[in-house]
Amino acid sequence: MTETSVSSRVDPAADERLHQELERTWHERTGFWGWLTSVDHKSIGKRYIVTAFAFFILGGLNAALMRAQLARPENTLVGPDLYNQLFSVHGTTMMFLFAVPMMTAMGIYFVPLMVGARNIAYPRLNAYGYYVYLIGGILLYAGLFTNTGPEAGWFNYVPLAGPEFSPGKRSDVYAQTVTFTEIAAIIGAVEIIVTIFKHRAPGMSLGRMPLFVWAQLVTAFMILFAMPWVATASLMLAMDRLIATHFFNPAEGGDTLLWQHLFWFFGHPEVYIIFVPALGMVSQIVSAATRREIFGYPVMVLALVMTGFLGFGLWVHHMFATGVPQLGQSFFTAASMMIAIPSGVQIFCWIATIWAARPRFTVPFLFVLGFVVLFIIGGFTGVMIASVSYDQQVHDTYFIVAHLHYVLLGGAVTPLFGAFYFWFPKITGRMLSEALGRCHFALFFLGVNLTFFPMHQLGLEGMTRRVYTYLAETGWGDLNLLATIGAATIALSVALFLVNVARSLAAGEVSGDNPWDGETLDWGTSSPPPSYNFLHIPVVQGRSALWSRTPDKPVVTGLRTDMHEVLVTTLMDARPDSRHLHPRSTVMPLLAALATGVTFITLIFTPWGLPVGGALMTAAFVAWAWPDRESYEEQRLQESS
Amino acid sequence: MSTANVDVSSLPTTTFSHRSLAWWGTLGFMVVEGTTLFIAVVAYFYLSRNYQTWPPEHIVQPSLLWPTVQVVLLLASLVPTVLADRAAYRIDLVKLRQWLFVTLVFELASVAVRWQEFLSLNVRWDTNAYGSSAWTLVGFHTTLLLADVIETAVLIALLFSKRRLDRHYSDATDVTFYWYFLVATWIPIYVIVYLGPRFM
Repeated sequence: MTETSVSSRVDPAADERLHQELERTWHERTGFWGWLTSVDHKSIGKRYIVTAFAFFILGGLNAALMRAQLARPENTLVGPDLYNQLFSVHGTTMMFLFAVPMMTAMGIYFVPLMVGARNIAYPRLNAYGYYVYLIGGILLYAGLFTNTGPEAGWFNYVPLAGPEFSPGKRSDVYAQTVTFTEIAAIIGAVEIIVTIFKHRAPGMSLGRMPLFVWAQLVTAFMILFAMPWVATASLMLAMDRLIATHFFNPAEGGDTLLWQHLFWFFGHPEVYIIFVPALGMVSQIVSAATRREIFGYPVMVLALVMTGFLGFGLWVHHMFATGVPQLGQSFFTAASMMIAIPSGVQIFCWIATIWAARPRFTVPFLFVLGFVVLFIIGGFTGVMIASVSYDQQVHDTYFIVAHLHYVLLGGAVTPLFGAFYFWFPKITGRMLSEALGRCHFALFFLGVNLTFFPMHQLGLEGMTRRVYTYLAETGWGDLNLLATIGAATIALSVALFLVNVARSLAAGEVSGDNPWDGETLDWGTSSPPPSYNFLHIPVVQGRSALWSRTPDKPVVTGLRTDMHEVLVTTLMDARPDSRHLHPRSTVMPLLAALATGVTFITLIFTPWGLPVGGALMTAAFVAWAWPDRESYEEQRLQESS
Repeated sequence: MSTANVDVSSLPTTTFSHRSLAWWGTLGFMVVEGTTLFIAVVAYFYLSRNYQTWPPEHIVQPSLLWPTVQVVLLLASLVPTVLADRAAYRIDLVKLRQWLFVTLVFELASVAVRWQEFLSLNVRWDTNAYGSSAWTLVGFHTTLLLADVIETAVLIALLFSKRRLDRHYSDATDVTFYWYFLVATWIPIYVIVYLGPRFM
């Protein structure tokens, strides 16, 4: 362990004995059965990350096909019907199966480590959330491969997605994919909030939490209040299609704009749900690269919280073209511009942190610099389209496609790649190659700009979104070809990243515990972390948990090592409050998720899914709640100690 | 500044209310479910703007008898719920079993009355947007009601079983906490769906 590692350093022999005991208690079975029954946040977090990245690649392949089709005018590679499915599945994948789950996954893996906990709160629910998410992803792609992929865009507007204009089951696949992913996201949010509130190591008061943890907390609250809107909207749509309700049917008093309001009340916060965790990642990377605490910590926290609040006040700017009252237009224009303030504050704080330091220009830091450039471009065009008159001109054109990709790829995916390079050593114990990483960064940065910058011009020239082809006379061919070359460049950069990962896993340089000299507790344990996370739960003495540790390195003592006993602390000051027993590995989350899957997939075809699935889910959750003999005896023992 | 090691071996293993992890989970799901009910209310009022009258022409006002019975029943159910809650805090197993069982009887009665409440809407879910939004609002609450009945029944079974643990006292207070939430959310739904159309 390095000098800053979390260890009592009192007696190496005693530490070794403790390690053996904890390992015996917390180690999970290996092999396929062990994988299916795991409740370890690291195991679930890793598979979440890998699965979300696999969906990123699948979503990218959809995009690649679209770009190939648009590379030249009147191309015939992809027909209009398949093209509709491709852009719908691309957006649905990137938003619901990649971006939100990936950001949640990073929280599931790193929040417990950063707050000094042995596991996430509600470990079984965590596993359940993953399986439900996986079922949702498989459903979407089973739909696409059977020519039943969603066809009305990622925001699935009615009446296009309603029973009249979308017969068959395509929009039902969308609705239930959303249901699955929202269940998973809400579960992840509750776990992350409770882990942060109740599992922080003693001494880590709210004012000492790492900025990444703050970002995850704000995001989790946003998920809690935003996700029910789209889940309810998609349920209403599913009911309109299955049991003939009339929420979105104007002929019987329904309203198509109701969908837009419900969707965007979720949809705009969604952007920040993706973006805010990325801000947290940037802060951790900048801090490690400069070896300084981030300048203006309280302001940074307030900026994150302000972003979270303001994110809910902007949804109507997606609906300027629907005839919003003038006062509403003014309000939402002002709110849309106002959100640039907290983002700007954070950028200035990072600049101030870097200003007097000598940053190490490692790959994670390069991605941070790339993020600043790309996100500022996306932010500027965001302020432009916050103006109603400008928005009316470019609404539904490629200008919007350019803007949203600069924001999402620049604001979230770029820092995410930086985060991968930054935390890969912690997860695997090996460094990614710096040389390959620099190539990856250069190609990715170039590719994003080549792909999306020309789209601003295409939009201004009138090229609308979601068209499967265009005429040569429009003159859009050259810029589209350039965008397609850019997309190929991005694909090449991602392939290079995968090569880098494979190479490092096989023969990468061993990283050690804290290769970047990071300040947070995750860097204080070994790489990869042991099954129990920390040999000793640390007592936190300052905002930078590792940098502020005194030589005696105080720790928590008295937790049982023969069972999954964890510490519960108070919300504000993280004072030790009680001991809690976490469950051991179990197959119940998987069974409950399968019951949930059967319920919602059956509901695509028949309302009988409700009673049948309800009975299955009840059986699964009752079995889950009923303690088996082993866990009963263990809990009895803990309660009597 | 140096700090001493922290010995936690004497901390309790069973805690109540905001000190318990399960309480926070319950609160989290209340927030989500409360938001969902709020969205259904938003949809109800949003769709009402599409009509001159609400309920729409030729649709009978909702009947008040059974929904009012339900409100009385739910308010009365608070008595055994509060008593069960207090018994759990006192770690009084006999009283807890007794009052939780009475709470379950009230819950089951509430489910039975709920069926009559659907019929009291005097409109089908597929008649028009009014019927869809009213049925959905009552339906969402019913889903939560059924979930709570199952949860209460399982907890009672655990309290009578050999697998009973100290933490089940804390779980019992979470079940009662959730029941308060269901009663509290039903009152505005009653006012909006059953009384509201008389004033709109």
